[in-house]
Amino acid sequence: MRSKRFEYLDARPVNQDGYALDWPEVGFIAMNSPFDPTPSIKIENGVVVEMDGKAAADFDMLDAFIAKYAINLDFAEEAMATPSLEIARMLVDINVNRAECLKFTTAVTPAKLVEIVGCLNVLEIMMGITKMRARLKPANQCHVTNVKDNMIQIAADAAEAAVRGFAEMETTVGIVRYAPFNALAIMLGANVGRPGILTQCAVEEATELDLGMRGYTAYAETVSVYGTEDVFMDGDDTPWSKAFLASCYASRGVKMRFTSGTGSEVQMGMAEGKSMLYLEARCLGVTRGAGVQGTQNGSVSCIGVPAAVPGGIRAVAAENLIAGMLDLENASSNDQTFTHSDLRRVARSIPQFIPGTDYICSGYSATPNYDNMFAGSNWDADDYDDWVVIQRDLKVDAGLLPATEEEVVAARNKAARAIQAIFRELGLPEITDEEVEAGTYARGSQDMPDRDVVADLKAATEMLERGVTGLDFVKALYKAGFEDVAESIFNIQKAKVVGDYLHTASMLDSDFHVISAVNSPNCYEGPMTGYQISPELWEKLSNIRTAVDPSKIG
Amino acid sequence: MDQELLVRQIMQEVLKNMNVQSSSAACECADKVTVADYPIGENKPELIKSASGKALDELTLEGVVNGTLSAKDFRITKETLELQAQVAESAGRGFFAVNLRRAGELIPVPDARLLEIYNALRPYRSTKAELYAIGDELINEYGAVVSGNFVKEAADIYEKRNRLKK
Repeated sequence: MRSKRFEYLDARPVNQDGYALDWPEVGFIAMNSPFDPTPSIKIENGVVVEMDGKAAADFDMLDAFIAKYAINLDFAEEAMATPSLEIARMLVDINVNRAECLKFTTAVTPAKLVEIVGCLNVLEIMMGITKMRARLKPANQCHVTNVKDNMIQIAADAAEAAVRGFAEMETTVGIVRYAPFNALAIMLGANVGRPGILTQCAVEEATELDLGMRGYTAYAETVSVYGTEDVFMDGDDTPWSKAFLASCYASRGVKMRFTSGTGSEVQMGMAEGKSMLYLEARCLGVTRGAGVQGTQNGSVSCIGVPAAVPGGIRAVAAENLIAGMLDLENASSNDQTFTHSDLRRVARSIPQFIPGTDYICSGYSATPNYDNMFAGSNWDADDYDDWVVIQRDLKVDAGLLPATEEEVVAARNKAARAIQAIFRELGLPEITDEEVEAGTYARGSQDMPDRDVVADLKAATEMLERGVTGLDFVKALYKAGFEDVAESIFNIQKAKVVGDYLHTASMLDSDFHVISAVNSPNCYEGPMTGYQISPELWEKLSNIRTAVDPSKIG
Repeated sequence: MDQELLVRQIMQEVLKNMNVQSSSAACECADKVTVADYPIGENKPELIKSASGKALDELTLEGVVNGTLSAKDFRITKETLELQAQVAESAGRGFFAVNLRRAGELIPVPDARLLEIYNALRPYRSTKAELYAIGDELINEYGAVVSGNFVKEAADIYEKRNRLKK
C-alpha cells in the first residue's frame, strides 16, 4: 500500500525535475571534488613551469594560455602561499576592501580559486558577491525573442522591457536569416522605451561579429569558452581564436563579453574527472587571459546539470563570485528554465538577486516563456509583477521598475509605429496598421498576425547585400519623423567611436553617459556603504500599481 | 568511451524533463590619461578623432541625415583605443589593456579579412605554414606586431596539441 503523503508529494512539480548523486570520477560533481588538482605554481625567470600540479611540458591548451596570460605573476608566489581559508575570510571581511582582495584573487591559479570559494557557505558567497561585483549599481538584462521572429513584437516587447528598467537586451533567431531584422527591431524598440539601452543579437560567432561591424548591435555576448580542450574543440574554437575574436570586436569599437558555465563539459561527457566549478574557473582564466572585460556565467544554458547534483546551485553562485574575484563584469545567467517548481526557480536566483550583480539575469525573458527562443528563461514576462513585488518586499534593487499599463501601451505603440516607418523608408516588406495595433496590445506571438516569411527573408538578405548600416537606420528614422529615436541610435553609433563603453561592466544612462566599473566602481565596505537605493528610487519601487494609498481611503 | 556514453545517458535523463585606414594623426597627449579623465568622451573629448579624422563634435545627427557623414566617420582609431588602454591600466586592468592594444593594431585590417583570419584560427582549419603566413601578413601589411606574433604562437601550440589541418 502506498503512503498518501508520498503519492501526493510524487505529483508535486519539484519531483518532475531530474536529480542524481555525485559521481566525482567523471566530473559529475558541482565543486569540492576529491579529484580536483591541488593548487600550486612554480615560476622560473618569469615563466610558469608548473601549475596546479602539472609541469609545463604536460600543459594542454588551456593551461598554457592561462599560465602565460591570465595570472598576475608579480604577486603569484605570495598569493599562492597564502592559505585559501585566509583569502576566503578576506572576501567576507568588511575591513578588507575589494582592491585588497583583488590583489590576491587575480594572482592565483584556477585550482586555488576553487579552493578559496570552497571554504564559503552560500551566504558568505553572497556577501562576497556584494563586495566583489564590479559596478556599484546592479542592473538587469532581458531576452526579447519570439517563435515567429515577428519584428513588430520584438520592437514592442523591447520598448516595454526598457520602460520596466532593463539596461541591456539580447535577441536571437528562430530562422537565422531573420537576424538583421531582429537586431534592428530590438535596437529600435529598446531605444524607444529608454534611450541608451545596449542591444545584441546572439548568432554564430562570425555572423555576430559581422552584425556588430555593420552597426546593427552594440555589444556581443555569445562568445563561448569551455573548461577542457576537447570541449573547446567541440565548440570549434581555441583560446587563441577566441582571444583574437575579442580583439576584433574592440577594433570595431564594439563591447563584448565571453560566456561559460558549470556543467557544459560533463554534459558533453568530456570533463576529465574534474568538478564543474574547477572547469569553470579555467574558463574564467581564459576569459581574463584574453583581456575580455567580462563574462556571462552561472551555468547559463547548462543549469539543469549542476542543479541535478548536491550543492549545485551553491556552485553556480560560487562561479559568479569567481568572476568578481577576477575583476570581470558578471552577467549572471538566471536565464534558462531548469525546474518545474516555482519555489526552486526563485531559490536558484536568490544568490544573485539579493547581493546584486552587474546584470542579474542574462537574460530575463521579456516575453511569455513560449516565445523565448533560448529554450525558456528562469523568469519571464508573466513574472514581471512577482519580480517587482519581491524587490519591494526585501527592499532590493534587482534592476526592474514597476510600470503602469498606460506607459507600457504607449511605449509599445510608438515602437511598433517606428518599425513600421523604418521598414517603409528602407523599402522593406510592408508592416500594416493591423500589425501595429496587434503589437501594441500583444502578450505574445499568439496574438500577432502571421507575416509572409519568404518575402521577409528575401528582404533581410537583400538589406545586408545592399550594405545598409546602422547609420541608414538613423537616416530612415529621422526622415520618418522619429527624430528622437534616430538620435538615440546615432548616439550608440557614436559611442563606438569613443570607446568609453568598452570598459568593465558598462551601461549607458538615458543621456548616454557611461556608467562602468571605472567611474562607478563598487565600494562596498560594510553596512551603509556601497550601493544604496536612493529615496526617489525607493518611492518608485514601493509604488506598485496594485498598492492601496491609505490617504485616499474613506 | 562506455563511460562517456553512460554520462551522456545520465545527462539525457536529468535534462529530459526540462576597411578604413586609421588616422595618421599621432596621439597628442604626452601625459597618459587615467581614470580621472574617464569617460574620455565627456572629460577629454578633444583627444578623440574618428578614423576619418573628424573631431568628436563634428559627428552630428545632422551630418548623418544630410549625408555628409558616412560609416567610415564612425570607426574607432588606434589612438583612441590606446587612450582607453591607458585608462584600463590606471584602473588596474592590465590584461584588458593588452586586448585593447591588440585591437588597435587590427583596425586597418578589412572586415572580411578579419573574419577570414578568425576562421583560420579555429581548430583543424590551417596548416602551421598558413598560420605563419597570416602572422607575417599582420606584421608586414598592417604593422600588427602583437597580433601577428599571437597567431604564430597559436600555430606552435596547435602543432604541439595536434590541432592543425590534417
